[in-house]
Amino acid sequence: MADTHKPASPPNPEAPNPDIDAYAHEAELEAHLQTKRMYVNMGPSHPAMHGTVRMKVELEGENIASSDCEIGFLHRGFQKSCENVTWTQCLPYTDRLNYVSAMMNNFGFLNAVEKLIGLEIPERAQYIRVIGSELHRIHDHLTCVGATGMELGGFAPFLFAVEARELVMDRVAELTGARLTTNFGRIGGMNRDLPEGWIEKVHKSLDKVMELVTEIDGLLTRNRIFVDRTKDTGVISAEDAIDYGWTGPCLRACGVNYDVRKAKPYWVYDRFDFDVPVGEKGDNYDRYLMRIEELKQSERILRQALKQIPAGPIILDDWRIALPPKPEVYGTIEGVISHFKLVMEGIQVPAGEVYDCTEAANGELGWYMVSDGSGRPYKVHVRAPGYPILSAVPSIIKGKMLADLIPTFDTINMIGGEVEQ
Amino acid sequence: MSDNDTKKPTGDSQTPPKGAPSETREAPGSTPKHPPAGAKLDTPPAAHSSPTAPPPPPAAKPAGPPPPKNPGFVTCTIDGKEVVVKPGTNMVEAARMVGSDIPYFCYHPRLSIAANCRMCMVEASNAPKLVPACQTPLAEGQVIKTNTLKVKEQQRAVMEFLLLNHPVDCSICDQAGECKLQDYYMRYDYRPSRLEGGKVMKNKRKVLGPRVVLDQERCIICSRCVRFMNEIPKEPQLGIFGRGSHEVIDTFPGSELNSNYSLNTVDICPVGALLNRDFRFRARAWFLSAAPSVCTGCSRGCNIYADFMGQETYRYRPRENEAINKSWMCDQGRMSYKYLNLGRVLSAVVGRQQGAGTARPEVARKEAIKAAAKALAEVKGMVAVLASPLASNEDLLATLTFAKGTLGAREVYVGGRPQGDADHYLMTADKNPNRKGLELIAAGLGLALKPFEELVKAIDGGKVKALYAVGTEVPGNVETFAQAAAKLDVFVAQAMNESPLTAQATVLLPASTHVEYDGSFVQVDGIIQRFRKAYPSKGDAVAHWALAAELTRELGGTAAWTTSREAFRELGKQVAELAQFDWDKASPPDREKPGINPLPTAADGRPPGYREFGAPRVRGL
Repeated sequence: MADTHKPASPPNPEAPNPDIDAYAHEAELEAHLQTKRMYVNMGPSHPAMHGTVRMKVELEGENIASSDCEIGFLHRGFQKSCENVTWTQCLPYTDRLNYVSAMMNNFGFLNAVEKLIGLEIPERAQYIRVIGSELHRIHDHLTCVGATGMELGGFAPFLFAVEARELVMDRVAELTGARLTTNFGRIGGMNRDLPEGWIEKVHKSLDKVMELVTEIDGLLTRNRIFVDRTKDTGVISAEDAIDYGWTGPCLRACGVNYDVRKAKPYWVYDRFDFDVPVGEKGDNYDRYLMRIEELKQSERILRQALKQIPAGPIILDDWRIALPPKPEVYGTIEGVISHFKLVMEGIQVPAGEVYDCTEAANGELGWYMVSDGSGRPYKVHVRAPGYPILSAVPSIIKGKMLADLIPTFDTINMIGGEVEQ
Repeated sequence: MSDNDTKKPTGDSQTPPKGAPSETREAPGSTPKHPPAGAKLDTPPAAHSSPTAPPPPPAAKPAGPPPPKNPGFVTCTIDGKEVVVKPGTNMVEAARMVGSDIPYFCYHPRLSIAANCRMCMVEASNAPKLVPACQTPLAEGQVIKTNTLKVKEQQRAVMEFLLLNHPVDCSICDQAGECKLQDYYMRYDYRPSRLEGGKVMKNKRKVLGPRVVLDQERCIICSRCVRFMNEIPKEPQLGIFGRGSHEVIDTFPGSELNSNYSLNTVDICPVGALLNRDFRFRARAWFLSAAPSVCTGCSRGCNIYADFMGQETYRYRPRENEAINKSWMCDQGRMSYKYLNLGRVLSAVVGRQQGAGTARPEVARKEAIKAAAKALAEVKGMVAVLASPLASNEDLLATLTFAKGTLGAREVYVGGRPQGDADHYLMTADKNPNRKGLELIAAGLGLALKPFEELVKAIDGGKVKALYAVGTEVPGNVETFAQAAAKLDVFVAQAMNESPLTAQATVLLPASTHVEYDGSFVQVDGIIQRFRKAYPSKGDAVAHWALAAELTRELGGTAAWTTSREAFRELGKQVAELAQFDWDKASPPDREKPGINPLPTAADGRPPGYREFGAPRVRGL
């Protein structure tokens, strides 16, 4: 292809300069078609690039010839940092993985460590973990749906979503003491019980949240503009999705019925009556629908869990794992020794390795851990669900319109914290 | 009891371990030439090392027990693993060989056996009740189990009794972080207290002597300290007084714990009862890093750990060395760390001190080196050299090479700390760690050693007008020598610590102490020992060898070495005794943890909570 930008002849210093001379150069009077590919940087600071990710997009006209996703702006050295602290001290780091649903990371990490030690946590703690997880699943999906709506031009759904999210956040803050980085749960159970009267509050909040979800649903699901932008865009086949390692709602949108909660029930998930929505086409619209439906299913689980939750201890009564109660720490030598050793040297996790996974908001959150028998992890690897999903975006979007990138990026719900670790 | 009671040793039915003497039987009682692979007991415990006891000649007793599986050795099974040991080996040591840790408080491999803590009780196939593993020698064919329910129950019960009257002191106890009670509680007890009512109160700060204080409440009456004082320095100064709950460790009436080995009782105390008065409340154990080093208090060269935080040394602890100090060291040596921290020469100075209390102009070391080189260049060939046997081999090699090659010196005056008292065990009269090294190096370089008194005479007589001093410790009176040194025209001194003598230096160069670089000493018996760097040099100081290198280069010579290792390798060739020494291999290991060790992140040299050598473990022996 001839480069049309190249001047036809070498520049002549005598020739009139179009920039300063008061008449147009003849060449400028021809509106020739731009055939050169244009490179556009989306991000790293772009409202539609959640977190800070940079997308180098090569445009041919309005079509995307190729794209390259550059991550790492949010890299914190999560895995390496874990090796220098005790197992318990890793927990705050896990908050910062998927910061939109921190509790699911907390509990996923704890579950893997407990599997490595071989612990069965008390039933009430398992219920609290389910409740916390589902609250944060609602939180995560609301954020995703609201942002999708907003970035496709509808501001109202975002406001509704944020209002609902705020309600969830208030309940989370009452439960954990923090709005975002919860650091909730401990190896062997939970660090605190449900607050008094909290269950009632959650029921009421859920009523309001589901009202708002219905509003969002009504505003988006049959909205002509929204449907046009999302239907049949960002399509991926089930085979490709599996090959890329997709999990979670994005995989289910392609028609694959895989949910860790059903495939390998953990905690008390097998006691609840809930459905796993499965899509057909694997396009943006299906991924959006998955989330709307999962919001409703999470609400079902939550209401059942809040009803069924038994009384009892929230953490194991084993002073090698759980900190002794404070009166014992201050009053008895046994308590103070246990507290000292657990804080200074950490929980002694037996040597070995483990892979364990839970169903986080965006898919299978996997942990591969190695212990050398000391109080600190030898290796912590996290399989963030967003990573394989993001890696498929360039192939999904190739040859499609630039405008399709926005809803695609929205519905895969990439979270910088967990992808870049 | 299990069916082990009826199990008899199977005699020769199994194949002996590889390397075991087979059919060719040697004379009874003699040690086989090729001991079995499992029988590597390098340091047989003193009290039980009686390999002279001859095993019964198998042929002589037809009706007796079956012949030993490995003649000359005892073969038995511990936790399902076969172990072959010398006769008389106790179960604790044997179990350690096959990786079973038997917990104990009162047992110490270098002390007699008391078997009073009852923590090491294990199940033995030939006894109806549990037996104390520290006291019981292994018998042929015995089956030992160290982790059955019965044993665990016993360990729990012992821990519960020990903690019953133990004060809630971890947060203010120096031992916290390196305490056997803590380690064992988490491993063998981990249950809440069942105590109702108060604890027995005793004296919490009983001063036993000039260096040791006792917290009687924390004491578990293991009697290690009493046995140590009786058996190692053979100064029986401690005893156990009272009965039952009122039992306490104390000194005998009218006497105090003033032995020169009293601080070893603090080391072997498994809990925080005996405390070092010097170290008490100064640092938490888990903030200290340990560098393997050598004590410089006398010429014995006891192996130590220098425990440090930031650029301060906090204490010395003995490091095991069978050839020199076993597990012990003397109090004087232990207290000798203070010169590493206090009164240090931290920056270079040019010009004498003009009067008491006046400040001297501090200059950059580079400037001072230039000034020193200029002054020395003018008096080449006429410079007297004073070398301190406190300096390491590397230091002496480099400085004396410089003195000989560049300054043209032929003889070296020997400085160093004055002679002191020797004692009956470890401490020697020579208070310098490297006199032997100085002698070897001077001989290797062809320099004559001259006593310090001759230097004093020569200065007084006006024969010596210029002096180059490697270390400013002098065997005589410092004040007097300082007055003599004031007469010198040129006095270039490389010093670690301030003294009246350093005030008289025309050029004073700051030198590092032995914890601030890697090097080696030759101790009194001629054993060459490596020490390792703990932290970077304080202030502007560098090691003597580095100062010598800078001076050499400034005077137009070549000094290619940039590390003490290179200095030793290059210059040590001239000294026959040092040429044989493998500098790298002799280096004591810094970290025992295999693989990649986390890099030190904090000022104290390790990530918070990082224990001495990686994985936490029970302290010492």
